[in-house]
Amino acid sequence: MRLSTSAFVVAAVTLLAGSAWAHHNMSALFDFNDRVTVSGTLTRLDWRNPHIYVFVDGKSGANQTEIKGWSIEGPPPSFFRAREINRTDIEAAIGKTVTAEVSRARDGSSSGLLRVMTLPDGKVVSACPQNC
Amino acid sequence: MKSPSLAISAVVCAAVLLGPPLVQGQPLPRDPVERARIIAQVLEANARQLTLFDRRGQAVGTVGLRDLYTQPVFSPDTKRMAVIRPDLDKETNDLWVIEVATARATQVTSSKPREGANSPAWSPDGTTVAYVALRDGYFGLYRKSLAAGGQEELLFKNSAPLTLTDWSQDGRFLVYFSTDLTGGALFALPIAAAGERTPIEIFRSKFQAQGPRMSPDARFVSFVSNSSGRNEVYVVPFDPAAAPAAAASLVPTQISDQGGIGMAFWRRDGKELFYLAADRGIMAVEVGAGTPQFGKPRVLFRPAAEIVPGVAPNSTSVSRDGERFVIAVPRPQMRQLTVYDRQGAALSKVGQPGFYVQPNLSPDGARAVVMRNDPQTGNQDIWVIDLASGKGTAITSDVHPENAPIWSPDGRQVAYVSTREGIAGIYRKQADGTGEAELLFQYTPGAGMVLTDWSPDGKFMTFFTGVLVLVPVGDAKRPQDRKEIDWLREDYDVGQGRFSPDNRFLAYLSNEDNVERGEVWVRPFDAAKPDAPPTGKAVRVSKDGSVGMIAWREDGKELYFMTRNWEVMAVDITTSPTFTAGTPRMLFSLPGPLPGNPMQWKNVSRDGQRFIFAMPAAAASPSR
Repeated sequence: MRLSTSAFVVAAVTLLAGSAWAHHNMSALFDFNDRVTVSGTLTRLDWRNPHIYVFVDGKSGANQTEIKGWSIEGPPPSFFRAREINRTDIEAAIGKTVTAEVSRARDGSSSGLLRVMTLPDGKVVSACPQNC
Repeated sequence: MKSPSLAISAVVCAAVLLGPPLVQGQPLPRDPVERARIIAQVLEANARQLTLFDRRGQAVGTVGLRDLYTQPVFSPDTKRMAVIRPDLDKETNDLWVIEVATARATQVTSSKPREGANSPAWSPDGTTVAYVALRDGYFGLYRKSLAAGGQEELLFKNSAPLTLTDWSQDGRFLVYFSTDLTGGALFALPIAAAGERTPIEIFRSKFQAQGPRMSPDARFVSFVSNSSGRNEVYVVPFDPAAAPAAAASLVPTQISDQGGIGMAFWRRDGKELFYLAADRGIMAVEVGAGTPQFGKPRVLFRPAAEIVPGVAPNSTSVSRDGERFVIAVPRPQMRQLTVYDRQGAALSKVGQPGFYVQPNLSPDGARAVVMRNDPQTGNQDIWVIDLASGKGTAITSDVHPENAPIWSPDGRQVAYVSTREGIAGIYRKQADGTGEAELLFQYTPGAGMVLTDWSPDGKFMTFFTGVLVLVPVGDAKRPQDRKEIDWLREDYDVGQGRFSPDNRFLAYLSNEDNVERGEVWVRPFDAAKPDAPPTGKAVRVSKDGSVGMIAWREDGKELYFMTRNWEVMAVDITTSPTFTAGTPRMLFSLPGPLPGNPMQWKNVSRDGQRFIFAMPAAAASPSR
């Protein structure tokens, strides 16, 4: 199952549910205080609702030789389209190095919630304020 | 003309439902005309009047014009007020200071698009304002002098969201909270410290904890928590020298006795504590010296009944001397359930006005299931209303937020979404209110869902999350074993699924053609293969945008929806051998923006002759 952060769902549901307490329903799965920078090769993109996913082979270790596959969840496609960032912008980075700042999953797995991603051409894709 | 996207519709609808704070990050259309139109709608629905009250509840003045004000906080001398004002066009929130006597407003922060400032607090001497701001992907506690040339100064940087609620009267601490679905914590940031400042954890709970404010002598902190199952005001001692682990062992003292939802302010002399009760009463508690001792809460006044649901902790505050209260007063919230015919003539008004939203008609057209806010408890419950008598029957009566009610195909049960401990579930209950609620399905913790229909054969329900999702409820599985089916999951938004009467099609709203425009579409649905990708061609039904209210006539020959201009539309359709749709025609229009979310409305009678809406109690008549 997936979390729903599609903009109109958030609008319709979080307010209806009266959850002014919760800034972000993502907090159930991701720790906003556990901020991790993942740098490595973008291997795959899933550009669908309710969230996009980018998959990055992150490099770590002393010599940056250890590879760990990261699954990074982002806002829905409409969020990016409203910021004039399209699927093709990110698809063009597949096979190239990207850097993503994520809030790590609470289960400690190599998955996270996208905050900011820097594409190979230097373009910065921000998922704030939705994921901040 | 362009129509708003689903997201934009929801911005307006959500805003109309409950008012500010607006949801940050919602996209607005880029087309300038459409953008201006949406902004005007949001303003119309959400603008509030800053209104001053004395301790008896007498309105003693207003400040400025109606605007999207939120989080008003008096300066220590009560002569100015810090407020947050969103700029919808720039997609920012910024901090303003307004002079109470003259309404002269000064913008204190200037945020970049999609960033913003929130939650202001005054320094004890009134020369400086502190606030939380989102800057370059980080939240921070900032302060800025109000003197000419004052610069924004970062005091503390944080990755997670935080909310500032107080600046201690000795000037030493900024007091804030951070809370999410895993619990909450209260902090004091020593601002005089040199170098990197380390917050002191005041209190931590697996429950929500918010709104901390320090007593004038800095020995206690008041806050609001839902640890008892509903929100109440508590006090804990504060000792900045205590070991960090001590915060976890503190036992809070409960102050409120009938629910307390926020706005817990201490009077400057420490002899009184104020808070906003669940029924929106402005409460006062005497505080005795020493331990301290807290008296029994008493009501100072209650806001006018017609605005009660719109009075929130972040729209209310009190002066340091306890003599002035400010409420950002929303427009009246009362709604009258009203039945219309196809020509837009109001046939009947159902019962008395109330805090209703989302009336959905029963299959026999004799009842409506609604969401109802109880002004006494602040609870949002599901009710069934008999249209002839106006008599209401409570389906739920609890503190859990309930929404999105729908009818079973036979009209004997209602289903709805209830969120319990952060987990949204679909429940069903007898429509006469008897028996226990039965859990049918639970979704991912923290995720919301908008339930929109129950298939004619009773085997499926559908909700949306940007994806159109099916839940097989006709099986004998346990609720926790039921798995949802992503029936239509694409890169465009999909919502408000509605099964055709013959169960062979699903109508829905999506922005497939234009990200900024929601339209009504219909696709074939095969109940025998619900988990197979939808087959067959999708047919667009609306021509110039829709905000929802999709409904089928029982004979499958007409479909209804609402346009962005609040026009009720009808379309001739055929369903055999394939689906075809004619040209939409307007039946009537209503004065908008209407309260509620049209993506949930199922308010058309099966024969297409009656339409029910929760109209603002003083709404104008429809037009043709």
